[in-house]
Order: sequence, then structure tokens, then C-alpha cells
Amino acid sequence: MLTQQPLLPLPTAPEPVAARPARRWQWRWPVGERVLIALVFPLGLLLLWALAARNEWVAPQILPSPATVLAALSELAQSGDLTRNALVSFWRVIDGFALGAVLGLLLGIGFGLSSLFRDYVYPLFKAIAQVPVLGWLPFLILLLGMEEALKVVLVAKAVMVPVAINTDQGIRSVPAQYLEVARIYGFSRWQLLTRVILPGALPGIWNGVRYGLTNAWLALVAVELLASSEGLGFLIVYGRQLYQLDVVLAAVVIIGGVGFVLDKLLSLIEQRLLRWRRDAF
Amino acid sequence: MAHAATLDIRNLGKLYPVSGEPKPVLENISLSIKPGEFVSIVGASGCGKSTLLRLIIGLEQDYQGEIVLDGQRIIGTSLNRGIVFQEHRLFPWLTVEQNVGLGLLNSDQSPAQRKKAIQEHIDLVGLKGFETAYPYQLSGGMGQRVAIARALVNRPEVLLLDEPFGALDALTRNYLQQELQRIWEQEGITMILVTHDVEEAVYLGDRIVVMQPRPGRIKRIVDVPLARPRDRGSYEFAAIKEDVLQEFGDGKLAADLSVRRPDPVSAGEWHFAW
Repeated sequence: MLTQQPLLPLPTAPEPVAARPARRWQWRWPVGERVLIALVFPLGLLLLWALAARNEWVAPQILPSPATVLAALSELAQSGDLTRNALVSFWRVIDGFALGAVLGLLLGIGFGLSSLFRDYVYPLFKAIAQVPVLGWLPFLILLLGMEEALKVVLVAKAVMVPVAINTDQGIRSVPAQYLEVARIYGFSRWQLLTRVILPGALPGIWNGVRYGLTNAWLALVAVELLASSEGLGFLIVYGRQLYQLDVVLAAVVIIGGVGFVLDKLLSLIEQRLLRWRRDAF
Repeated sequence: MAHAATLDIRNLGKLYPVSGEPKPVLENISLSIKPGEFVSIVGASGCGKSTLLRLIIGLEQDYQGEIVLDGQRIIGTSLNRGIVFQEHRLFPWLTVEQNVGLGLLNSDQSPAQRKKAIQEHIDLVGLKGFETAYPYQLSGGMGQRVAIARALVNRPEVLLLDEPFGALDALTRNYLQQELQRIWEQEGITMILVTHDVEEAVYLGDRIVVMQPRPGRIKRIVDVPLARPRDRGSYEFAAIKEDVLQEFGDGKLAADLSVRRPDPVSAGEWHFAW
């Protein structure tokens, strides 16, 4: 029987209240100021660029002024070229990312859980991972042609490697103490996997996903530079061939911006997904 | 009231391979624990007292001799034996009630019964109102309370405690010792406490098992015939404490006793101050 009545008079609990105080030795700017601070270098760079263009430190054919690039951007946007090419690139990244993330997750779980699987597959995986995406390009062009499959496969490869490696490490870093808790409460293998190992490995897995998405974007642009007739990477090649450096730079700005937004998006999801890890932030 | 178990340990021995050669960590341990008894085990670092608990809970196998719980030889872990470690070992991604619920994951109770049992045990350890808190929001003492609730929620017959308060500050430790005693009296189950802290052993135990190291053996068993709640300041209390401390001899051990194990699960990010 459980009774709520304590059998002896209890002193009031001398325990500290929940929620830890912020670390005092680490100065944090308020949010508004943090945004301003983050803008110092980009704005400085912009200023330098404007100065360089105005004083013609670099030939204007090579370095158009920010205003020219902005005009090119709005022209591209109005003609629909920008949206069309950006969407093509976007879907390639999504397809390749989905494929690569699933493959990487499966591989990583395999490596993390089974030393047999690891012994058989890891060396080959490592060897394949060491060859950069562009190293595979000539071979894959012959194998897959120049169509979408080529881009998706190369992006998938760029995503798979960091996801697999980080998933593996995430799983292996789950403390042995938690596995003992699972044994004490008689967890089945499935319960062990879904309730201990995967949640425990989630920070690592998520790291891999973030790296993977950044990689995907980089790989895609690289592939589009070399073997594509549409997409943001192609826009760069196209602009260079016509000697329209304003188009090139406009595409570069968009690529950088999209990459930045993608990573921010993931970090927002992370705050939600890993909110139990607050003390590590 | 939960059924309390009789635990019989007979001629227990355990070998660990040390650089290829099997070395005894426990030798010839015999101990019989009555249902509902509270037994404290004290000893210096390396006397095998934690290993003894790990054998009883079933996390370690391959021993010589017998560990028998209610006539059944112990093989592997079982829901009728609960344990609380020095670190709380709560899953950081689960809330307090979800963590306590882990103890019932494989029980055959209905969801309604589980919910009731979880709430009762959160109340039992005095954490009403913290059901949906995450472990990072709890102090060390609160974490240990949740660990105790998790260990008790499926009504084990024996609760093992492996230096459960060793990492807490002195004030919190004293308070949780009283709480543990209250829970023990309420639940009426058998408890075995491993500790570095002789005062804690005297305060809580019906008997104190003093162990000595290399290999781990029982040196002496001291009865504590004091009524509860015990007065730490009384002469009898001090006399028993002194008696137990005498077993450690030249006082070299007192220093040894104060050594606490570092918390193995602690790694955080750090930044320079600038």
C-alpha cells in the first residue's frame, strides 16, 4: 500500500529550484545586438566591394558594382529565369538529399549496431567516401548519362557519407550506463533500439543531417557547373560564357543565401527536436 | 504491501581477468538477508562492494557459489530487483513521468494502472508537480528521487542502492537519507545499500556489512539495534559509528572513504570567456 503520509516529520527540502542559471563567465549579447554583430562583416565586405567597383580597382567587366548585380538579379527574377533555375536546383537537392539521408541512416545504424556488418562494409564505404563527388563525375556521366539521375546520385553520395559517419558515432557514443538501464528493465531489442539507442544518438544523427544538407547544396552546384543545362550552377556557367559577370555574381549571391536559409531552417528544427539537450547549448 | 524477498548469498566468489590472469575481486561472501531488512555495505574503494550489487542485480554473470532470491538462483536481470546508481541514469530525452514509466514498459498492467502507479511513485518521492520536467531541469537530489521512483514503480522485492547519494551535497544527502528511510518503511521491501559513508550506513541499516579489499571479503557484520528515526547526535549512534570506523584500522581508510567517484556521464560544451 502506498500512503502519502510521511511517517516522520520532514524538514523542508533544502534543494535548489529547477532551471540552471546562465553561465556567468560567458558573455552573451542580447538578440538584437547579436544580429547587428553578425552583419558587421557582410556589410563591410559589401562596402569594400562597392569601393572596389567605384574606384575600378578591378576591371568593371570582371567585378561589376553591387548595383549592377542587383539590377541583374531583379531582371533574372522578372524574366522568371531565376525562379525556374532555382526550383530545378531545389528539387534536385531535395531528391538527392532524401535518398542520401535514408541510405546514410541505414548504413550508419548498421555500422553502429553490428560489428560484423561494420567489418564487411566499412572499409569499402570509407574508400568510396574518400573520393570527392567530382571524382565520380566522369564515370557516372558514362554510366547514367547527363540527366537528372546523375545529379541525384551525386548529391545523394554527398549526403550519405556525413549522415552515415555521424549516425555511427552517435550510436557508439550512447553511454553504456543507459544500456544497463535497458537491461535492468528487460527491454527487448526493438525497445532498446527505439527507446535508447536512436534517441541517444539523435544529436549525432542530426549533426550528420546538417552537414549532409550543406554538402548536398555544394555538390549540386558543382555538378551543375560541369554538367547541366539548367539550375543555379548552370546560370553561373552561362553568365561566364556570355561574359555577364553580374549574372554570375547574382547566382552566387542566391546560392549563398539559399544555403544559409537551409541551415537556419535545420537549426530551428533542431531546437525543437533536441529541446531536452538545453543544458548543452 | 509489496512482497519482500529473502536473499541468500552462499560462498560467492567472482574472478576478473587482470592482464590475462584471473584475479579474485570477491571471495567467500556469505550473507543471508531477511525479508524487509535494510542492510548497509561499507568498505574502501576496490573492495568489490559495487561488484557484489552488480551480481545481485544480474548485470554481471559467471560467479562461483550461489545467489538465491526466494529459493531461485539469480540469472540475469529481472523486474523483481530494482537498482539506483550513483548517477541517476535518467534518459535526458524523456520527462520525469516518462522516465519513471520506463520501469513499467514491460509489465502486464493496463495503461490506466500504469498511469496510476507512475503518479503514486512520483508522489512517493515528493516530486508532485515535476511530472513533465526534463532531467536537465532537475537538481542532483531531484534526479536521484526520480531514479528511486523508477526503480520502485514495478514493485520490486529488493531495492539495491549503489552509493545513491554519493555525489550530492551534505544537506541534500541527509534529507534524502530520511526520505529513503520513510520510503523503506512505507514499502516494506528489502533494501541493500552500498556506501562510502559510515554515518549513512549506521543511520539507515539494520545491519552493517564491513568489507575489506584485495580480494573483497566480509570482515565483520555489525548490528544496529537502535530505534528509528535515529538520532545522529546520540551517544549510541556515535559508538556504533566509531566501532565500524575502527574496523578500517589506522584511519588511513577514512581518507580513502572520502574519495568519491567522478560522475562518468558529464561532458559539456565550453567556450573561452571572451
